Amino acid sequence: MRARSLTSRLVATFAGPAGVALKFVFLGIFNALIVWAAAILASQHKWPAMVVTIAAAVAIDAVYLAPRRFPLKFLVPGTVFLIAFSLIPIIYTINVAFTNYSTGHILSESEAIEQIKINALAPPPNGKTYNLSPALDKDGNLVLLLADADTGKTFVGTREGLTPLPGSDVKVSAGTITEASGYNLITGARLFSLDKELESYRVPTPGGAIHPEGIDNAVQLAPTLRYDPKAKTFTRISDGVVYRDNGKGSFIATANGKREELEPGWKTYVGFVNFSRIIHDPLIRNPFLRVLLWTLAFAFFTVLLSFALGLFLAITLQKKFRLQRIYRLVLVLPYAIPAFLTILIWGGLMNPHDAILNSLFHVNIPWLYDPWWARVSIIIVSVWLTFPYFFLVSLGALQSIPGELVEAARVDGAGAWQVFRKITLPLLLVAVAPLTIASFAFNFNNFNIIYLLTQGGPAAGDQSIAGTTDILISYTFKLAFASGKGGDYALAGGVTIFIFFIVATISGAAFWRTKALETLR
Amino acid sequence: MTTIEQSELAVTTALTKRRRRDWRPKHGSNWWRHVVGILAAAFVLLPIIYIFSAAFNKIPTLADARVVPRKVTLHNFHQILTTKQLDPTLPTPHFLAWYANSIIIPAVAAIFSVFMGALAAYAFSRFRFKGRRLGMMALLLIQMFPAFLSVVAIYLILLNVGDVFHFAGLNTRVGLILVYLGGAMGVNTWLMKGFFDTIPSELDESARVDGATPTQVFWGVILPLATPVLAVIALISYIGALNEFIIASTVLQTTDKYTLIVGLQQFISGQYAREWGPFAAGVLLTAIAPTALFFALQRFIVEGLTGGAVKG
Repeated sequence: MRARSLTSRLVATFAGPAGVALKFVFLGIFNALIVWAAAILASQHKWPAMVVTIAAAVAIDAVYLAPRRFPLKFLVPGTVFLIAFSLIPIIYTINVAFTNYSTGHILSESEAIEQIKINALAPPPNGKTYNLSPALDKDGNLVLLLADADTGKTFVGTREGLTPLPGSDVKVSAGTITEASGYNLITGARLFSLDKELESYRVPTPGGAIHPEGIDNAVQLAPTLRYDPKAKTFTRISDGVVYRDNGKGSFIATANGKREELEPGWKTYVGFVNFSRIIHDPLIRNPFLRVLLWTLAFAFFTVLLSFALGLFLAITLQKKFRLQRIYRLVLVLPYAIPAFLTILIWGGLMNPHDAILNSLFHVNIPWLYDPWWARVSIIIVSVWLTFPYFFLVSLGALQSIPGELVEAARVDGAGAWQVFRKITLPLLLVAVAPLTIASFAFNFNNFNIIYLLTQGGPAAGDQSIAGTTDILISYTFKLAFASGKGGDYALAGGVTIFIFFIVATISGAAFWRTKALETLR
Repeated sequence: MTTIEQSELAVTTALTKRRRRDWRPKHGSNWWRHVVGILAAAFVLLPIIYIFSAAFNKIPTLADARVVPRKVTLHNFHQILTTKQLDPTLPTPHFLAWYANSIIIPAVAAIFSVFMGALAAYAFSRFRFKGRRLGMMALLLIQMFPAFLSVVAIYLILLNVGDVFHFAGLNTRVGLILVYLGGAMGVNTWLMKGFFDTIPSELDESARVDGATPTQVFWGVILPLATPVLAVIALISYIGALNEFIIASTVLQTTDKYTLIVGLQQFISGQYAREWGPFAAGVLLTAIAPTALFFALQRFIVEGLTGGAVKG
């Protein structure tokens, strides 16, 4: 209460002119940031982003400078963040679910076509070779000083193109340029650190490109594919095979009964393909169903066992007796300690190297190694984490059951067991049952316990990235990020939408039930 | 008639007497409660006792740790507080950096998100405007989307933000805080609105009559009354952010920026997987503050947990 008087004094100080001044200071800082952002966006030529930023800022200013509009004044700060970091990512994810966005289909179509053209460059049978001397120009940019191995003509190659260097400006020894006016040759150890940069360096020429090979050679590359912008096809020059846009973000040719695809593909809309893959493609459907089943089982057993254990312990320890307070304090510990720490500890207790649980109980159980034991381990740990919650809420609910009710029942001749079964338990269930649904929804998406304990493992042996203990959410995470084959963001997006519908259905049911209960009362 | 009534009465009395003997409190029959309590406590304490003994034992693996250390030592604490194993180039030992990050990032996120949530809750509680119900429902619906699965989008957004404001892009604490603030409006707003609804509106009406603006009512009437509740919600948000793994591990890319959950996970799953002693010491140091806070605020938290459900 003393703290309250302090806050109210603080509040009184800031409510008057000081508050108004503060408001303008904040608005000023906000607008300064916006101007800064707009300037940077303009310098990067990101015009749409700049327009959106300024429009949003003007709208926000309008809300706060207008005399009324009170609800908006209170809603804007949270809503801005909600839109930027919740709503837009969600819309983006839903959008991605209808594309083929994945490793190999990251670029836009025009970028992919450019990349294919570059990939299709190869040294022709009798192509030109150059002796290479990497150098820096006046601005410190890497350039290639080239001497034609046959004719001895000298050139400078940049990322923009090839220009001749007059023989009077250079010194050549043993066919290689050793000095050039206006350029600093790179020599010694620094040459060897250029590897990566040279590897990706291409000097475009009319018929192809010049590409360094190692640090002292460069070769003329010629295209092996010809692009026809009108027909949107690639044609292989050697045998005339035509690659066509298959409408799904790839150029495909079927030559000699074989399906050939040009890499990379591009990102494009593919409609409901990802959803139909989940339903029809056995390589995705079977792991998906397996994961879904385990997710439901994991959430169900966690909630059921935690609820039962929490309720039982609450009933047992509700009565006042010696040490009761100590028991209660201890039993709440798993709820009080941050869960990620205790999950990591359990992981250590169960890990196969040390097998502490085994040596403690003189058993030999492959806790996290065997698929079934891994599932049991996860449920043990999740019950350990969850039952204190049900213990706490059950204790609260027990205390809120009116004593007269129990008294009345006893007077009417009900026995202890009858009182419990006919009065205490139903009232408790009415109070605690809705919470089981929330807990179910939470555990349905309990990424931490799976990832920190088993990372979804052990492997299922069906070629899938979904391990035997993966739940939908960790499976989705693996689809997007942790697969050896690269990320399939589109499929991950599809599964995310699926998860959303399941959770929304469960929560909707819970919401409807509580509504129904309220109207009943 | 009378005989029937009498016999009925007799039967009832007899029953009551019998029953009464049955449900009379049985003093001295609490042994089974102790059995249940001890078993449950053993289950709960198993990992906790082990982490204590591992922390105070100078032995590298948990397996060799004894429940009562042969020799109590602070060696592990010294090691976790000074080690730079994961990144020797860091200026500070990384555990300290993680510890600081895990205080700053979740705390700033919790404070701002409670504040912004309270602002919105006040609007939902006190004003009647178009789209109010729709807005509340939308908040619930957005909440059901597993937000951290849109982490690809969050990554791309931060990448772009970083192009404009370097201090708020990828691999920055500010960037992660911004992302966490995206969840400020949500369940918490519902909780706070529920609480604000219980504050009698006569209070703010009388303030309004005295000439206070809605903003002044919010600061002067609602906020002081709601401080304890807001503190509890802030604690819950703090723990939530402390436990958040996916976004933190995606946004934070260098060892010095990690939060404890990302750092400790790397520490124990990577190359130093068997260094249980320092790890255990780190866990103890990490757990102290949140656990103490929880017990300090337990009464409020339990009320918050049961409030909605047990009211009827």
